[in-house]
Amino acid sequence: MSGELLLEAVQAGIEFGGLRALHGFDLEIRRGDLKGLIGPNGAGKTTAFNLLTGVYVPTHGEIRVGGERVNGRKPHQINRLGLARTFQNIRLFRGLTALDNVRVACLSDERPVFSRERIDGVRRRSSGRSPVAQVMDALNNYVDWWRAILLTPGFQAEEDELTRRAEELLKVMGLSHRRDEEARNLPYGEQRRLEIARALGTRPKVLLLDEPAAGMNTREKGDLMVLIRQLRDQFSLGILVIEHDMKLVMGICEDITVLDHGVTIARGVPERVRQDPKVIEAYLGDSYLASQGLPVPPQAPTSETPVT
Amino acid sequence: MPAFLRGVVPVLIAIAVLAVLQLVLGGLPFFVYIASIVGVNVILAVSLNIVNGMTGQFSIGHAGFMAVGAYTAGKLSLLLKDVAISGLPGVVSDQVQFLGTLIAGGIAAAICGFLVGLPSLRLRGDYLAIVTLGFGEIIRVVVQNLEVFGRALGLSGIPQTSSFFAVWFCVFLVVLVARRIVGSTHGRSLWAIREDEVAAEAMGVDTTGYKVRAFVISSFFAGVAGGLFAHFVPIINPGSFTFVKSIEVVVMVVAGGLGSTTGAIVAAVVLTLLPEALRTLFLQLGGLDTGASLAQKVDQIRMPIYGILLVILMLVRPQGLFGTREIWDVLPRWIPRARKGIT
Repeated sequence: MSGELLLEAVQAGIEFGGLRALHGFDLEIRRGDLKGLIGPNGAGKTTAFNLLTGVYVPTHGEIRVGGERVNGRKPHQINRLGLARTFQNIRLFRGLTALDNVRVACLSDERPVFSRERIDGVRRRSSGRSPVAQVMDALNNYVDWWRAILLTPGFQAEEDELTRRAEELLKVMGLSHRRDEEARNLPYGEQRRLEIARALGTRPKVLLLDEPAAGMNTREKGDLMVLIRQLRDQFSLGILVIEHDMKLVMGICEDITVLDHGVTIARGVPERVRQDPKVIEAYLGDSYLASQGLPVPPQAPTSETPVT
Repeated sequence: MPAFLRGVVPVLIAIAVLAVLQLVLGGLPFFVYIASIVGVNVILAVSLNIVNGMTGQFSIGHAGFMAVGAYTAGKLSLLLKDVAISGLPGVVSDQVQFLGTLIAGGIAAAICGFLVGLPSLRLRGDYLAIVTLGFGEIIRVVVQNLEVFGRALGLSGIPQTSSFFAVWFCVFLVVLVARRIVGSTHGRSLWAIREDEVAAEAMGVDTTGYKVRAFVISSFFAGVAGGLFAHFVPIINPGSFTFVKSIEVVVMVVAGGLGSTTGAIVAAVVLTLLPEALRTLFLQLGGLDTGASLAQKVDQIRMPIYGILLVILMLVRPQGLFGTREIWDVLPRWIPRARKGIT
C-alpha cells in the first residue's frame, strides 16, 4: 500500500502554557489508507485532529498537506487543500436542512473573474503572502456576490450543480428521505452520517473522523464499519479515525497509532498494538498487568511534566 | 421562466407598480413623508438583519453608518445645488444627481463598514458590538464638531428631491438583495456561520471574509437609507443619529425575528407607525390641552410603551414575531422561492 502521500505530520506538537497537549506526533496518510488513532481520555487525540485541520497552530514540527507546509494556515484554507473532518460532539448547522448542510460544504470551485489556478500561480510565484493574489481573491468574491444578487444564468446553473452534488452525497449516505428536514430533528445516527456527508461535500482527499461511532448501537456500528470502507474505495480517500470502540478500530484500521498523555506510545498493525504492554497499561492500568503476570513498563512521560 | 429573465423581471414589475403608486399617492405630502420615514426604517432593519440575523453577529451602530450616508449625500447635494447637467431637463438632472449622491453615501458607509468590520470581525464574540457602538458615537461626535457639516445645527436646505418612488424602490432593492443572498450559496454560508462558526470554518467557509462582506453590504444600505433620509427631512443634525436610533433598529430586527426579512419589514413598519397611531388615538380620545403639548406627551410615553410591548413580545415569543420564517415560504408555488435554498 503506497498511494500518493496526502497528509503528513512531522514531529508536530503543541503546548498550552506549560502543558504539552501533544508532543512529537508523526503521521502519514496516503491515498487508500485507513488508519486509526486511539488512546485513553485526554490523550490528545482531538488535539491532534485540531492541529492537522488548522484549528490550532502547532508550536513544534510541521503539518504538510499534499507536500505543502500548512502551519498557520486557516482551517478553511486547509480544508480547501483536501482535508475534511467530522466532530466528536456533532456540530451540524442545526437550523439548516440536511440538504443545505451538505450544500454549505459543496462550495463552488468556479471563480468568476480569475480562476483558482491562476490565483494559486500568482501566490506560488511570489512565495507566500501576495497582495496581488489577495486583491484577485477579493475581486472574485465580490463579483460572485453580485452574480448571486443579479441571479445571472451562470450562477443559477452553478447552484443547480451544487444541489445535484449535495443530493448525490445524501443518497450515498442513505439520507435522501431527510433532504428537507432540519438537521436538529434527525435521529442521532443519521446526524452522524449527515456530518460525514457534509465533510464529503468539500471534495476531500483525506477524511478525519472524530469518534464516528460514539453513541451508536452495535448494529449501527457494524453498518458504519462497512460504510467507512466503502467510502474509502468509492472516493479513493485516505481516512483517519479516532475511536474509543476497540472492536471497530481493530476491525477496520490497517494501522493504529496509540496516544497517551500527548505522546505516541505505540504504532502498527492492530494485532501488534493490541498486545503491546504499554497500550494495555495505558488502557487498563499496571495493576492489570501485574495480575496477569506481565512486565510493567517504565513510566511514560506525562503531560503534567513541566516543560523545561 | 427563462434563466436570464428570473433576474430582472421582479425589478421591472416593482418599477411599474411603484410608478403607478407614485402617480396616485405622490400628491399627498403627509402620506409621502410618513411612507418615507417607514421606508427608511425598513431599509435599516432589513440591512441590519443581514448581519445580526443571518450571520449571527451583533452590530449596534447602524445609525452611525446611516449618518455617514446622510451627511455624505446631503453635503454632496448641497454642493451640487446650483449645478445642472447640461442637455437634461431640470427635474431629470436633479434626479440623476440625487441618485449619484445616494450611491456615494452608500459607498462611503460601505467603506466605513469595511474599516470597522475587518479588525473586529476576525474575532468571535461581542467585539463587534463594542466596536460598532463606539463607531456610532465617534461619527456623531465628529460631525458635531466639523464646520463643514454644520456642527450641532446640522445641514439644512438640502434639495428635497426624494420621492415615494425613490424610497420604496430602495426598499424593494434591499429586500431583493437580502432574499437573493439568503437563497444563494453565500447566504447558506452566512447561515452556517450563525449556526456554528467552527464547523463552518472547517467546511471551507472563509468565515472572516463572509462576515466582512455581509457587514459591508449591510453598511452600504444603511448609507443609502441615510442618503434618502437627508433628502426628505428639512434638516439633518447629529441628534437624528444617536445611539437610540441604532437601538431602535436592533429592536426592529429582534422583534421581527432574527434572520427573518419579513419580520424585519413588519416590525419596522409597525414600530415606526406606532407613535403616529398613538398620536391619532390620543386626539380621538379628546387629547389634552393643545396640539403641541399633546405631541410632546405622546412622545414622552412612546418609549415606555415601546419597552412594555417589547417585554411582552420577548416573554411570549422569544424568537421574535416570525422566528426565521419568511412570508414567501407560504406563498403559492408559482412564486420562485429563495429561502435558505428551497429552490
